[in-house]
Amino acid sequence: MAIGSPRRRLLVAAAFLLPNLLGFVAFTAGPLFGSLWMSFTDLSLTKHNEYSQTPVQFVAFANYAAILSGAESERFWSYLGNTLYLMIGIPLGIAGSLGLALLITAKLTPTRPASRLKLAAVAAAIGVCATLAVWILTSPEVVSADDATITSAYADLSAYEVARLRGLAATLAMALVSGLAVAGVAFGSVFFRTAFYLPSLLAGVPMFLLWKTLYRPEGGLVNATLRPVVDVAFEMGQIIPQVAWQGTAIGLWLAVGVVVVRGLVAGVQKLMERDAGAAAFIARIFMLGTLAAVALGLGVVCWELPAHAAASISDGRSGFDTPEWLVSATWAKPALVIMGVWLGVGGANMLLYIAGLSNIPPELYEAADIDGAAGWQRFVNVTWPQLAPTTFFIVIMSTIGGLQGGFEQALIMTGGLYDTTVLTYYIYNLAFTDQFQLGMASAVAWVMFAMIFAMTLVNYRLGNGMTNE
Amino acid sequence: MSSPGASRYRGPRGRDLALRLLGFAALVVIAMLFVGPFVWQVIVSLSSLADVDRVANLGVPPSLHPQNYTRVFETINFAGYLYNSVFVAAFVTFLQVVTSAMAAFAFSRLQWPGRDKVFLLYLATMMVPGVVLMVPNFAVIVSLGLFNSYAGLIIPAAFSAYGTFLLRQFMLTIPSSLDEAALIDGASQARVFLDVVMPLTRPGLIVLTIFTFLGNYNSFFWPLILVKDDHLRTLPIGLLSFDSTYGSDTPALMAASLMAMIPPTILFIALQRYLVKGIQLGAVKG
Repeated sequence: MAIGSPRRRLLVAAAFLLPNLLGFVAFTAGPLFGSLWMSFTDLSLTKHNEYSQTPVQFVAFANYAAILSGAESERFWSYLGNTLYLMIGIPLGIAGSLGLALLITAKLTPTRPASRLKLAAVAAAIGVCATLAVWILTSPEVVSADDATITSAYADLSAYEVARLRGLAATLAMALVSGLAVAGVAFGSVFFRTAFYLPSLLAGVPMFLLWKTLYRPEGGLVNATLRPVVDVAFEMGQIIPQVAWQGTAIGLWLAVGVVVVRGLVAGVQKLMERDAGAAAFIARIFMLGTLAAVALGLGVVCWELPAHAAASISDGRSGFDTPEWLVSATWAKPALVIMGVWLGVGGANMLLYIAGLSNIPPELYEAADIDGAAGWQRFVNVTWPQLAPTTFFIVIMSTIGGLQGGFEQALIMTGGLYDTTVLTYYIYNLAFTDQFQLGMASAVAWVMFAMIFAMTLVNYRLGNGMTNE
Repeated sequence: MSSPGASRYRGPRGRDLALRLLGFAALVVIAMLFVGPFVWQVIVSLSSLADVDRVANLGVPPSLHPQNYTRVFETINFAGYLYNSVFVAAFVTFLQVVTSAMAAFAFSRLQWPGRDKVFLLYLATMMVPGVVLMVPNFAVIVSLGLFNSYAGLIIPAAFSAYGTFLLRQFMLTIPSSLDEAALIDGASQARVFLDVVMPLTRPGLIVLTIFTFLGNYNSFFWPLILVKDDHLRTLPIGLLSFDSTYGSDTPALMAASLMAMIPPTILFIALQRYLVKGIQLGAVKG
């Protein structure tokens, strides 16, 4: 409602706006132009400070030339490559977010408080019994005093003591699983939503320090958990003939090929028939791409496994080594990718999918029921297309975030070693460690900005096509 | 969570029950994957230094060492870091919520020439990567003499286009007939803001408060480049220096990082229903 003269209204508005606008101009809009200006200069705190009064030189596009094809280009392109490599977890994470959202919204537990309480009591009773059973089964018996002194792999611990500790750990694990199940029944989807969201909430220095210890090659939880898996894989690679593995791999690849081709044909058909929206098509490609990547990876593992098992024997080792993770050139980047998926899979993307799922009109599912569609068909023909706008938004936001991300974890976990330096880390190094080259750092930041801007433009184009649907 | 469609289809009863059990088991296993690392963190934080390398094989440490926690306070200024983190985050949050609410009021409730153009400018800057602004902001703060000070930590973070946008979205959902009625009764715009719009925007204010507080509590890049003195360090920077100086003391490191994770966890669990709404509402941006 407009009250008073335009002049007066502007004054009132200014009174409300001013505190924010001042900050906005001083720390967002102003620096934006400042940064652009800097990127065209040789500004560097080692050259231009209170002690040395050399004037700042305007160098036009020299910084950009150095980055893209000059002295800095080797570093820039390799760091851009690292950044893109670390982004391969994004599709996996998004697929995981959708999976979690589907599980959470599937109403697996009763919703009425009374039946919920009853079932929780039953679950608690089962959990207590299971925990007690594990405790009794894993408690070692001391037959005689001599047994207690039998030495183990550890000099100061007897075999009995080691068995007792492991039994205790198994009991604790069982108690934990039971506790999670009881809480899951009692609080329903809210409990799981909270548990899955916590990692992304806590993503920060303490979390990266935790993962650094999880990834320790010796004495880290990841390798301790992986050890039995790796051993079983080795055994299987030896026992099952090579032909069977390679047959499985070829089968997987063929299946992937058929699914991808069929999906693409269906997507193109949909696109040709009527303007079904670019988003649905892209969502389809995205889903197929993720599936294909997972299946291809599994296929490669199957194909290579027997040969690796044989090579491991001829090396004189009796099994596979567990990865060295953060201190290995091969595994440092995959380690960061895996951690990234763990951190992000239950985060904002999952919440967005939960909201998206609850917005799908039930009539669509009823229609699908009448058509006899169930399970996978319902998902492919109703759920996934309906979620296309959500998926699209998530893909774009994650890509933008991925281009900017990766600095904190690299600085804390690897120090940028083993090709884990990302673009933001590069900017940090240029501006705040080496030479305080603010000009060069700004130019890198603007190149990054340009890439993000281009992606957002694509987003708007396709997004508009989507909403006009 | 209400998803009317997702579970409407019911197959034969026995098969349905088995599927639900299977799904629930999957949820529990996945929850274990998410909770497991934190349990491990607790276990390591209670192990002795000598047991760190074998606790993964044993499952639990042979003896418990709660003194790791007291050692944290003896080796580093943990309480000081925590105070700095909470103080800076709270101060930033207060400034950001107040200025954002006022600006959002001007953008959603007041009619003035050029309003939509200015708002578009705000929206446009939300896409700018933070690191682009980091370098010039650093130069500005240094030239203002605020390098290595609380003011330097707080002021650049105290204004946010995102907060303005978020609160504007909330305010747009409040029917304008309410403030029109107040204006006809002779209330000033300031009264309308304080007594009509602000109380109704409460959920939005809570969302922005939590987001901003958590974001600043975890804030890393800016404090990293801005602070040199130990007594000004926030938790992330303090923990980083702890790691680079006493990194071999894994139990104390885990104890410290566990303690650093507790405040946001409590905040989240207490206020999560607001947060979930806020995240889903914030998706309108982009």
